[in-house]
Amino acid sequence: MVFSSTVFLFYFLPIVLFIYYIVPKKFKNIVLLIFSIIFYAYGEPKFIFIMIFSIVFTYIFGILINKYKNTKYSKIILIISICFNLGILIYFKYIDFIIENINLWLSSKIDLLYVLLPIGISFYTFQTISYLIDLYRGKVEVQKNFLNLALYVSLFPQLIAGPIVRYKDIKEQLEYRSHTIEKFAFGIRRFIIGLSKKVLIANLLGELVNIFMISNEKSVIFFWIYAISNMLQIYFDFSGYSDMAIGLGNMFGFEFPENFNYPYSATSITDFWRRWHISLSSWFRDYVYIPLGGNKSKNIRNILIVWILTGLWHGAEWNFIIWGVYFGILLIIEKKFLFKYIEKFPKVLRIIYTDFIVMMSFIIFSGTDVNQILENIKGLFGIGNISFKSNESIYYLKSYFVIIVIGIIASTTILKKVINKFKFQKFINLLEPIVLMILFIVSTSYIIDGSFNPFLYFRF
Amino acid sequence: MKSETKNIIIVFEFIIIISIFFIINILKPDDKISVYERRKLASFPEISLENIFEGNISNQLEEYAMDQFVSRDVFRKIKYYFNTNILKQKDTNKFFIKNDGIYKIEYPLNEIALKKSTQKINNVIDKYLKGMNICYAVIPDKNYYLQDEYLKIDYDKFISIVKDELKDIKYIDLFSELSIEDYYRTDLHWKQESLENVASKISLELNSQNRFNSNYEKIKLGNFYGTYYGQALVDVNPDNLIYLNNDIIENCITYNYENKKANKVYDLEKYENSNDKYDIFVSGATSLISIENPNAKTSKELIIFRDSFGSSIAPLLLENYSKITLIDLRYINSKILNDFIEFKNQDVLFLYSTIVLNQDILK
Repeated sequence: MVFSSTVFLFYFLPIVLFIYYIVPKKFKNIVLLIFSIIFYAYGEPKFIFIMIFSIVFTYIFGILINKYKNTKYSKIILIISICFNLGILIYFKYIDFIIENINLWLSSKIDLLYVLLPIGISFYTFQTISYLIDLYRGKVEVQKNFLNLALYVSLFPQLIAGPIVRYKDIKEQLEYRSHTIEKFAFGIRRFIIGLSKKVLIANLLGELVNIFMISNEKSVIFFWIYAISNMLQIYFDFSGYSDMAIGLGNMFGFEFPENFNYPYSATSITDFWRRWHISLSSWFRDYVYIPLGGNKSKNIRNILIVWILTGLWHGAEWNFIIWGVYFGILLIIEKKFLFKYIEKFPKVLRIIYTDFIVMMSFIIFSGTDVNQILENIKGLFGIGNISFKSNESIYYLKSYFVIIVIGIIASTTILKKVINKFKFQKFINLLEPIVLMILFIVSTSYIIDGSFNPFLYFRF
Repeated sequence: MKSETKNIIIVFEFIIIISIFFIINILKPDDKISVYERRKLASFPEISLENIFEGNISNQLEEYAMDQFVSRDVFRKIKYYFNTNILKQKDTNKFFIKNDGIYKIEYPLNEIALKKSTQKINNVIDKYLKGMNICYAVIPDKNYYLQDEYLKIDYDKFISIVKDELKDIKYIDLFSELSIEDYYRTDLHWKQESLENVASKISLELNSQNRFNSNYEKIKLGNFYGTYYGQALVDVNPDNLIYLNNDIIENCITYNYENKKANKVYDLEKYENSNDKYDIFVSGATSLISIENPNAKTSKELIIFRDSFGSSIAPLLLENYSKITLIDLRYINSKILNDFIEFKNQDVLFLYSTIVLNQDILK
């Protein structure tokens, strides 16, 4: 189920909120678990069994790791459990990609399996692995209550597109969490802001990106409009989803970690990755980079491994691997020598440098093949027989100008700083409920009119 | 206002909104059609295990929930207002307003579809019309008459492709005969009351012996909110629906091959009953319909391969023909035409709008 849908907003959400809040405390988790399963099964009924399968085995492996802790068996069980979880992920996400490449490199003719990707599998697999590793490391206690572990993995706000919530972050909340008006109101605010980011900015810019893709009149201006819109769409799509997830979590008493921190205000690529998809980058840092040796040994190798894996996590396509390697190399260059020069630049220049690198990266990220990626990069610089402008590009520039400007402002810290400087908190308090309801009604109007509504991160 | 009060208001209004819409949507009887959008609305999907496990049910339920949402048209108006006035988008769902008229972007030029359309016309000519007197004309969509700042196809290129593909038959230029005033403001079609010069030109180009002497009485039916009005759902003034009549037209009888019913040329009941009042012209969209003219001074017949624009101009061509047959290749496959029509020595006109030719929808 998609958050930005009529069925979710006006059927699923009122029902689950109503039942959740009228049942006694001891039944709240079971209510959430049942509705999380309905939420998942609604769009992907066939794949619900894979998730349940993964939960059951994670539960059993957890019990075993705990039983044999401080013995040599616990490590073996951990390795088996990780292989098991990764095995499921590899089969469903990468098997056809692996076969395609074996066929390509070895000239073999192995038939593809045409395996469909269960939605959210990359997210919940990383959650189960984090639980098992943390358990092995003694950072968390074993979860003996199966329902609580099942709820941790399947909790619908964060189930299909993150944030990748660590077990240690919500283990206590699974047992005890507070439900206050303040938290609920905060949740509504985050949810409506996320919904608006998704529906009013990401979807509209997504339309523009699609128009560009099929245009026969691409000019230099249009390539720039595409590149900027594409990076804004990806940000608002994903961060909008994370906002909605965090907001929904709050409505049910949970406090999920933040996933974005104004990444387009970052002053270096290193800084960008501290602010973008924080739950994923910190996962790779804690469970791959540091175990490999981190900064201490074979630093460059470790960075490259992490970034190839980060690329691969996003999808079984070469462009994602190239995208990961691109960031890996840039991070190494920054770390080894560029950073000391960048530091001396004015902040604005550092932000422009970062955003330009990121913009180029998302052209790779969104590309369907190498030729298209190269064409879109060359187009930015007018390489080839490309006119500077066309009627079409000017029309769309005018038509999307306000949305792009809103996108740029809202993706940086400018607005936050202005609001924080504003002294009249009482006035802001008065305005906030009005603005939120207007945004909610307007977002609903776009959803009801059946506008373009994909979720980019669902495919990961 | 204190933060605590603000929080209470936010929670209260959010819960009230989602609950009220939930309850009303559950209680509200389903609508079958959308009058404004001129389409059937989705009904509640069939709940079966197969439907659920195939994963179809979610899309069908979402479509149902969107279509049956209470005050759907109000929400559509909110979207149009926000998109146009706040986000300053130049169009909403491809619609925009200019000088109190509603326009729809017909862009880009789809060369592949255009060539397929002309290929279908050539196939019909090769199969049925060898040796007959054939002309064709293209009706520009009304964007043609807008200034260049709007997104519109390259009409010169469009006509050049059509001429290249249909080089063996005679082209009648209508672009220079029309202006923006000749189109309804709230609809895509041309106004019949503005088509006398167009009808005259077509008559003469079809056959130099044809004469165009008719005098018409302009009969005003009343307000007309066209298709664009309903689809865009914006507030503009209505058009007037006017039709041209005289004794010749009044005495003609149409025969609809689909429902096997005879009728008059102007089906005035449609003005009262039909969602699309443009259907008064020869009863609206139908695959095959003929108009018999008992007062014709000639036995000559005309076949028009046409889209909906043809409905309103056909009556104005009756003066020179004893029978006009209107064929809409969007609704009937060209392969079976000789089951219904004997092609002999009729004059033939292919009359298509740029909108239809730019899509591959002819059968």
